[in-house]
Amino acid sequence: MKLATILVAIATVVLTGCAHNRIYSWGDYDDMLYKQYKDPAQALNMRNQLETHVAALEQNRQKVPPGMYAEIGTLYLQSNDKVKSIAYYKKEQSTWPESRGLMTAMITNISRQTATAAGTK
Amino acid sequence: MKASLLIICAAFALTGCVTQPQKKDFTAFNAAKPRSILVVPIINKSLDVDAPNYMLSTLPVPLAERGYYVFPVNTSKMVLEQEGFYEGEQIAQQSPEALTKLFGADAVLFVTINRWDAQYAFIATTVTVDFDYRMVAKDGTEIWTDKQKLVYSPQQQNSGSPIAMLVAAAINAAIARAVPNYMPLARQANDTALLTGPQPLPAGPYAAVKP
Repeated sequence: MKLATILVAIATVVLTGCAHNRIYSWGDYDDMLYKQYKDPAQALNMRNQLETHVAALEQNRQKVPPGMYAEIGTLYLQSNDKVKSIAYYKKEQSTWPESRGLMTAMITNISRQTATAAGTK
Repeated sequence: MKASLLIICAAFALTGCVTQPQKKDFTAFNAAKPRSILVVPIINKSLDVDAPNYMLSTLPVPLAERGYYVFPVNTSKMVLEQEGFYEGEQIAQQSPEALTKLFGADAVLFVTINRWDAQYAFIATTVTVDFDYRMVAKDGTEIWTDKQKLVYSPQQQNSGSPIAMLVAAAINAAIARAVPNYMPLARQANDTALLTGPQPLPAGPYAAVKP
């Protein structure tokens, strides 16, 4: 088993090659996304890890990669936490002007749903 | 006459399979100058039902590292599902103008998986991935395409006795058989197409080195 792990690790290094200089720190975003598609139970884990990662980036005044705030927002939305999802969508919106249209639509829709739900109570 | 034919044949044989990659025309791309790219769920022509989602997870990082705003792929997937679009095939039939408008994107990237499979053999397993990339601007113009095929078969270490080599190969094959790992191959294909290849995607507005 150990030998297998080592061989896989070597193959991975050979195949992925040297990492080039990166603009952003991704904190294993792509790997978590993959794991979450493989096993949807990993979604919570992904949300926690990404949240920790963006908090660290903010602390160090590093730019959060495109889409990352929004992905956290969506993970919150999928567990029905509308307040937190809106907060993250707003962060995406203010960090990336390109996201403005989509984020505005998301926030408006969630707010409207919340308002409707409150109205029927 | 015969001699000249022979020479022509020899010339062909000698130059052989060195096909120069066609030089890409970036005129349409440079005219569109996209800042933001929407990556929609992947079109799957392989038999692996998990491949489209796995492939989707590999695309945002290299695209963003090339300097573009990449719409959050999982969020975009959820939005499209709410619109009733679950499969990449179905989404690819929609007009790129409508898709980009829905998200406010400058361009949309369609990726097709042609192959995502492992072929099993006695001592070595060959893993193959094959992708088509197609980017379309918000006005419907195709601005960039690429094609990547990667084949991986475990290398045999040439170190020592034949039995050691055989054992090494058998172990490699066993690993690949248990969990063929497509992800490094998929990432390598994307990196070549978008970042490190001879004619990568032109750099976007957030690239470290300005285009």
